[in-house]
Amino acid sequence: MTFYLGNFTLCLSLLLAVFQFINSRKKNNIFVLQFNKIAVNGLLFSSLLSFLSLMYGYVISDFSLVNVFQNSHTTKPLIYKIAGVWGNHEGSLLLWILVLNIFNFFIFRLYNKADSKFVSKVLETQALIIIGFLLFTILTSNPFEKIATEQTDGLGFNPILQDPALAIHPPLLYIGYVGFSSVFSISVATLSIKNSEKIPWYILMKPFVMASWTFLTIGIALGSLWAYYELGWGGWWFWDPVENASLMPWLIGTALLHSLITVEKKKSLQSWVLLLSILAFLLSVLGTFLVRSGVLTSVHTFALDPSRGLYILAFTALLGGYSLTLFGLKSKKYLNNSYFSFFSREGSILVNNILMIVVCLSVFLGTVYPLLVEAFTNNKISVGEPYYNATVVPIMIPAILIMGVGPILSWGNQNKLKTFKKIFPSFLFTVIVTIFISLFYGSYSFIGIIGIGLAFWIISNNIIILFQKVTNRLKSMIVAHLGIGLLILGITGSSVWQKEKIIKMKIGDNTIINEYNIIFKEINKIKRVNYVALQGDFSVHDKKKNIITKLKPENRFYPIRNSFTTEASIHSNLFRDLYVVLGEGNLNDGWVVRIYYNPLVMWIWIGAFTIFLGGIVSIFENTKKIKNLS
Amino acid sequence: MKKQLFIIPSLLFLSILMIFLYILLIDRDPSHIPSTLLNKKVPNFETESLLKDKKFISSNEFGNQITLVNFFATWCKPCRTEHVYINRFSNKKKIKVIGINYKDSSKKAIQWLKEMGNPYYDVAIDKNGRIGIDWGVYGIPETFIVNSKGIIKHRHVGPITEKIYSKISLIIDKSE
Repeated sequence: MTFYLGNFTLCLSLLLAVFQFINSRKKNNIFVLQFNKIAVNGLLFSSLLSFLSLMYGYVISDFSLVNVFQNSHTTKPLIYKIAGVWGNHEGSLLLWILVLNIFNFFIFRLYNKADSKFVSKVLETQALIIIGFLLFTILTSNPFEKIATEQTDGLGFNPILQDPALAIHPPLLYIGYVGFSSVFSISVATLSIKNSEKIPWYILMKPFVMASWTFLTIGIALGSLWAYYELGWGGWWFWDPVENASLMPWLIGTALLHSLITVEKKKSLQSWVLLLSILAFLLSVLGTFLVRSGVLTSVHTFALDPSRGLYILAFTALLGGYSLTLFGLKSKKYLNNSYFSFFSREGSILVNNILMIVVCLSVFLGTVYPLLVEAFTNNKISVGEPYYNATVVPIMIPAILIMGVGPILSWGNQNKLKTFKKIFPSFLFTVIVTIFISLFYGSYSFIGIIGIGLAFWIISNNIIILFQKVTNRLKSMIVAHLGIGLLILGITGSSVWQKEKIIKMKIGDNTIINEYNIIFKEINKIKRVNYVALQGDFSVHDKKKNIITKLKPENRFYPIRNSFTTEASIHSNLFRDLYVVLGEGNLNDGWVVRIYYNPLVMWIWIGAFTIFLGGIVSIFENTKKIKNLS
Repeated sequence: MKKQLFIIPSLLFLSILMIFLYILLIDRDPSHIPSTLLNKKVPNFETESLLKDKKFISSNEFGNQITLVNFFATWCKPCRTEHVYINRFSNKKKIKVIGINYKDSSKKAIQWLKEMGNPYYDVAIDKNGRIGIDWGVYGIPETFIVNSKGIIKHRHVGPITEKIYSKISLIIDKSE
């Protein structure tokens, strides 16, 4: 049944999307609205139905579908059966399409407030994107393909993906990626409609930008949280091509949402914003291309198929060619020559914008450079952390400095002395706290001091704004900026002061890392529904020999996929994480054990979540602005 | 002047797409990593031989004629599928085929060769993977071509298929 329902709803969606596309091009207003209502709601319903029918296939383990057979197994816990739906290429495309249609639905609701010709144009562009992804799914990656021979059980689901954080990471990330499609559509509509200068497109666009950016933020954070405790490498960011693919739209999105504020207040930077909103989505699609075509290898690589790569590339060419040509022809009418002072709110936003773009470009270069070298010289190189540390970090430092002052500055011209008086207390606070923390961790590394300084610079500046009770500063902005401050704190602590110890330990051995004494007590075999594991038992003691915690890292073996995973065991508090990984070994020779002391990691997750909260509040604030439009 | 500036994004975008298209179209395997041993002398090693009663001493075996070196194990399924091609290589007069039995049980390996046919002139035993480390092997099957001067000329990671067979044959024909 899932086979018929799934294929039927996919084809129905395609029909409805084509209908929406053609209908939105028509001139007669009353019918356009009525028909689009049918198309938009129908699309939402049918894409939800095809998504749910695949999910149903997974839940009942319907192995007559190739996709279910390849990615599921009857012994898998229910939550991972459900998460298995988007843990593979074909299924994740269904989720992608569903999210496209959810945003399509919200665009439709703009009819209430905005010029209907404009909204129709947005829906037309959005329909084009939906058609593209539906065709991609149906032609190259149909999840509802029937299996040739009957199967009694599936091949199982990649065990390292069987994890709660990873179960919700892709949906959140996709809301982010796909959300930029609506921003793209609004930008294209603005460029192609006559008299669009009178439409407050920047207000209509803002909640969509905020939603995409907010969910992209939390999606990336969950992905790196997963990498932190599941991969067992002691770190949380590896400059993997796929991580970069999500970071690039995030950077563009960051630039975009800030310059949108400038457009709203000062009507400047309009063409710049239109360009950024096109680029954000193009980079999302290009990221998908890099991952799904098999051009790059990474931990995320799905099954390779060159026809898929060609299709996405062609589709990106169509979207990018169309939108950027349109931009080239039409955007000059949005160019205004009113220059503003560098020393003002809009000035700080513009400088930050430029820095974000430079970071994005260097990440892009680092991701694509190995490909270029290989294509033209036949050599293989890899670009790793040293490159990004050398390029990204120095650009981020001034960006964060400016970010600290920006919100304090007001729009337009500034009294420099007054500003200096405003920021002086926070400057003092920053210096004191930085000295204190450096003494506490006993580290005087240059980058460490800079990082901590920047973090408290942001935090204290935002606390000052909070206490000033200035009405025109949005709460959401303060919360999100505070989150960034906490995030920087965590990033600095964990990357600068991390301690690592890799040793061979036998049962009864002990080792010392940063004043903690770690004793290897015993090793046990344990058995669970879908795996067996060796579990080490380590007890951690402090200087006074008090026991602090027991850490139990595991080496799991999943018989169905015939694969091993390592489960790090972590003890966290606000100051540091203790992180133990059990490596290879046996009773006689002992086991290789990796122990990490990671200061302040917790603040990364707290920071990311704080940013997320700020973002959520901002989505509502900006939706309200649309409602208040006459 | 300003007008022309606006066309820059589309031009940049277009050139990036062209590069991606080129990368997509050329026949490349992203998981392929070239060996640092290419054009270097084979690493020396001494070990037991699986088939003969004497020691396997690498300096005696390499450097006289073109040699194909194949890392295999009975537990490795792709090794089974590529075995037909190794058999076909052993029929070539120009080359000598040497196997390296990687982290395997000798008993099983001998049984396996009886079953599937023995293409190897000799098989060196690499019980704990030490030889594999010297050769930079990171996953078997792997196949190397060593020329008559004992220099490694080619490395293939993964099972040999029809396409790879003809590619390697061509390399052998060109080698001296």
